Amino acid sequence: MCFKNLPIAFDDQGNAYLKEGINDPYEHKVVDLGVEQDKLKRLMEKNGFIRSVDYDPVTRVAGALAFHSVVDLEKKTVLSTNSMATLFRGYEVILKGRDPRDAAYISSRACGVCGGVHATCSALAIEMALGIKPPPLGVVMRNILLAIEYLYDHPLHLFLLAGPDYSEELVRETNPELIEKAANTKAKNKDVHGYDTILDIMKDLNPLKGKLYLEALSMTRVAREAYVLIGGKYPHPQSVVPGGLSVTVNITVLNEVYSRLVKFFDYSQKTTGIWDDVFDFFLESNPEYAKCGIRPATMMDTGVWDRPDYYDATFENCDAWGEARWSTPGVLVDGEVVTTKLTQLNAGMEEFIEHSYYEKWDGHKYKEDPLGTPLSPNHPWNKETIPKPGKQSWRERYSWDTSPTWDRMPMEAGAYTRMYLTAKAKVAPHSKFLENTGHSMKIHVPRHQLPGKTLEWQIPEHWNAFERNRARAYCIPYSAMVAMDNWMLAMDLLKQGKDAVSTKFEIPKTGTHIGFGAWGAGRGFLTHHLVVDKGVIQNYQIVTPSSLNAAPRTPWGTPGPYEEAVLNTPVLEKFDKPEDYKGIDILRAIRSFDPCMPCTTHIMAKDSDHMVTREVTTCACGIE
Amino acid sequence: MGSNKRTLIGTVGYHLLGNHSIGPVLLPDIRDMDLPDDVDVEEMNWGPIAVVQYFQTLKTPFDRVIFLVAIERQDRKMGDITIFKWKGGLPSETQIQACVGDAATGVISVENLLVIGEYFKIWPKELYLVDVEPGPEVAGEQLTEEVRQKAPGILKKLRHIAINGITDEDSTCTLRGNELFNTPKYEK
Repeated sequence: MCFKNLPIAFDDQGNAYLKEGINDPYEHKVVDLGVEQDKLKRLMEKNGFIRSVDYDPVTRVAGALAFHSVVDLEKKTVLSTNSMATLFRGYEVILKGRDPRDAAYISSRACGVCGGVHATCSALAIEMALGIKPPPLGVVMRNILLAIEYLYDHPLHLFLLAGPDYSEELVRETNPELIEKAANTKAKNKDVHGYDTILDIMKDLNPLKGKLYLEALSMTRVAREAYVLIGGKYPHPQSVVPGGLSVTVNITVLNEVYSRLVKFFDYSQKTTGIWDDVFDFFLESNPEYAKCGIRPATMMDTGVWDRPDYYDATFENCDAWGEARWSTPGVLVDGEVVTTKLTQLNAGMEEFIEHSYYEKWDGHKYKEDPLGTPLSPNHPWNKETIPKPGKQSWRERYSWDTSPTWDRMPMEAGAYTRMYLTAKAKVAPHSKFLENTGHSMKIHVPRHQLPGKTLEWQIPEHWNAFERNRARAYCIPYSAMVAMDNWMLAMDLLKQGKDAVSTKFEIPKTGTHIGFGAWGAGRGFLTHHLVVDKGVIQNYQIVTPSSLNAAPRTPWGTPGPYEEAVLNTPVLEKFDKPEDYKGIDILRAIRSFDPCMPCTTHIMAKDSDHMVTREVTTCACGIE
Repeated sequence: MGSNKRTLIGTVGYHLLGNHSIGPVLLPDIRDMDLPDDVDVEEMNWGPIAVVQYFQTLKTPFDRVIFLVAIERQDRKMGDITIFKWKGGLPSETQIQACVGDAATGVISVENLLVIGEYFKIWPKELYLVDVEPGPEVAGEQLTEEVRQKAPGILKKLRHIAINGITDEDSTCTLRGNELFNTPKYEK
């Protein structure tokens, strides 16, 4: 049985039912956070080493994230944390009452990096709601498009956003004791990246000037070039539509894509080699680094990359087509696979707003999913977005993010989750380039300028900041090889003359139709839940990876993933005076999640005239 | 008709933000203007990093770049037009890195574009901003009456600078990257 906390059980045939004899099955207690705050206040009054350390905004993340922590600088521990999404995202409100065909284009604007996955999620939700099955080439090309989007996203995070935290310039400031050691430590993967010592690598991680930093910038161009061949433009593709893609695909297009894709073969080897060397160095230099950002591997992912021979867009078959994906959907609790079924993933979802700037909605319209699995009143199909701006209070409400849970547990999301689940669950069908062992994923990278090589990502013993980033580096070859698998499929389909990329459909003007799109972003888990009523969108709910990761406390007081990861982070930075403290360990912990607040939070509409305080077409990042 | 200088007129700014979207709103009118062949017109909202990479691959670089933007500034009335001449200079490396971070994650900002372009040395000697005072930020597809009335003058000014550059009759202010993120942001 996958649910431990929700009142859902299964009969002998595997059919879900609501447990009987419970008066209010979805009741939950709300813990008074004031008790913790009062205790902290007393501690801070007594001890000068206990200080509030605020990061507002947290820099080198996409969008508006602020983080409050209380740190004991003498004992080098973090005592309290609060993750704050500082802007409201209004897409759920914007989409209400619109034609469903608008959803892909509008929801794409939820992010300036991963517009393609939002558009795709939206298309999938409509496909499920209206029963639209795309042709095989449409499915395959969508897979390639989104794999390429990750190939833009992962280098960007690794080298531009998180990378500087491990650069020579920054480490010299915060942990100078590591510099000499790095100079004397040979890099193990010199054969693929060419660097002799760890310090040589760290120097080229320096922001703006380092060769690795600049190389990542140029690789984002390669990925964008490949992307626009299919999507038309980046970051908001014009060709992603319900029913497939609105783009002509021929051999020329595929060859143009291939000429970009192959550049990621060598880059995959280089990137994984770089980060293996850097992270092994930190973890071997000081084993305490293993606690930086540590939390249980309790995570969920939607899976991505559909098999054209499985995907039929129906809710009824979503467990089968979900498990057939190149990356397996599901839930991990403390590193163990709890489910790989999309129906169970969906049924376990809830969103809570007790510590967020929203009003509670009334009603429980969808008590069951289309197969009869019970759904909570807090499930996205039942949820409504009712913003309620208010003052910030650690005791009550402090974020525009909600608290999403699965089976009442905060869940982490990341690109790495899709690799972790896929490797661990071993249910994904055979792939030419990928091998899931239950404890690792083997990725067979073909020869380009470097000889071919099998890269192996191992499920780590501890789930911490370093392992998140290491896994993200391995997601580059993972994504590239999925793209390659699909590229070969696309060539086969074209050879067979199966060049249709979309299926026509009509929007029904009557009846109510529900669906959900499940397709992870560069940062992991992403769902769009949709209700179409009489031809227009009656409700639309987006749950993004950073909604999960940046979540405030649950009603019952469990910290969200950033909050928990930072709480567990030791202060390893060297400083003489409290004033010199920079908080690098906390920042490494937060940035390891690849925070992307634009799709978590958005345009701040205040009062009734909908004044926008900071805009964005591509991404409502609060940069002021 | 010819300007004898390879020139780019670019628009920078988000869509659907009322007067703040003057670039995207006037882009079709700029394209419809009678301009010499050596003047290109482009929407430049596709990210400073991509813009840098585009400039770096140009076989014939631009001699003159003009951006149409709308930035709220003190001491101006809605619809006021200021011509800024970019004088180069850079903020701190931390600020540049923040600009790159924002740029890479989708933020559209002319300040980011100027700084990142300067850092990567893509700008020609002549870089101008035609900057229209938009007033407070509001959501919407339309320009206000005050700004709409100025549209013909804005287009005329863009064409004039594209063909002639800045002449004695043009009043300009200067803009420097090392002062961009402090106040005052510009000097007259």
